[in-house]
Amino acid sequence: MAMAVGGPKSGPRCDINMTPMIDILLVLLIIFMVITPLTPHGLEALAPEPPDKKNQPPPDQDRTVVIVIDKDKSMHINNEDTDMDKLGPRLEQIFKTRAERVVFVKGDPDLEYQTVARAIDIAKGAQIDKVGLMTPKLEAGN
Amino acid sequence: MEKKKAPPPVADINVTPMVDVMLVLLIIFMVITPMLTKGVSVDKVKTKNPITMQAADKEDAILISVTRNGSVYLSPGNLKLSGADQLPERVRDLLTNRVDKTTYIVADARARYSVVEDVVDNLRAAGVSEIGLITEEPHENKKPGEK
Repeated sequence: MAMAVGGPKSGPRCDINMTPMIDILLVLLIIFMVITPLTPHGLEALAPEPPDKKNQPPPDQDRTVVIVIDKDKSMHINNEDTDMDKLGPRLEQIFKTRAERVVFVKGDPDLEYQTVARAIDIAKGAQIDKVGLMTPKLEAGN
Repeated sequence: MEKKKAPPPVADINVTPMVDVMLVLLIIFMVITPMLTKGVSVDKVKTKNPITMQAADKEDAILISVTRNGSVYLSPGNLKLSGADQLPERVRDLLTNRVDKTTYIVADARARYSVVEDVVDNLRAAGVSEIGLITEEPHENKKPGEK
């Protein structure tokens, strides 16, 4: 028997004990295999075309919903003050009776991107289908 | 002279080849993993309601990365652009003969929004209307059984 214990001929074993090493290796292997197939996630947004001044009448101003985020992270829906927490419920309330769920987001250039992304995230959470990004050039009309 | 007796059969599994294979696999995965992240690695925004964007993982997906210090990178190719105003020309080239004109923006959470706005403006000039803002899904929000 190879594993004979206490036999007259068995000296100290000089093999490395492989079992803990294999354990660690297997765990590392599984970690890397799990990390690999992470699919990207994201929020869909639209870059709207500026309205054609000559041919099209301007869209109905009353029904357009614009989320404006100021430099101090305060938010407004059209002209109504709101904040991060109230934004979602308010949007749900506004769009409860509407079929076309479109919102425009306009952020101050000095903001961090994450503030705007969070607002878009909240809008998506409030079942808004289309989020348009308002940009300075769009407002200038070109 | 008497011949030496053969050693008795060993009852243990020989783990050495197994360890060899494992090590090789481990090294392969370790090498591949950082290569899989397309574009520049940025600190993405954590959002609650993102949708999966399988198309952004494709080899030829157009990704625009915006880093914290305001640099803009364009993938495929991982080109560093000196300014967002180079985008329309290059993106238009990449978009020719494509049906799906969705372009993806991977922006750092702390990047200035003006840079992102600039990128969006220039993408629109390139004829892109649908933009995917790549974000990160927080792990604690995962439902059980969801991969």
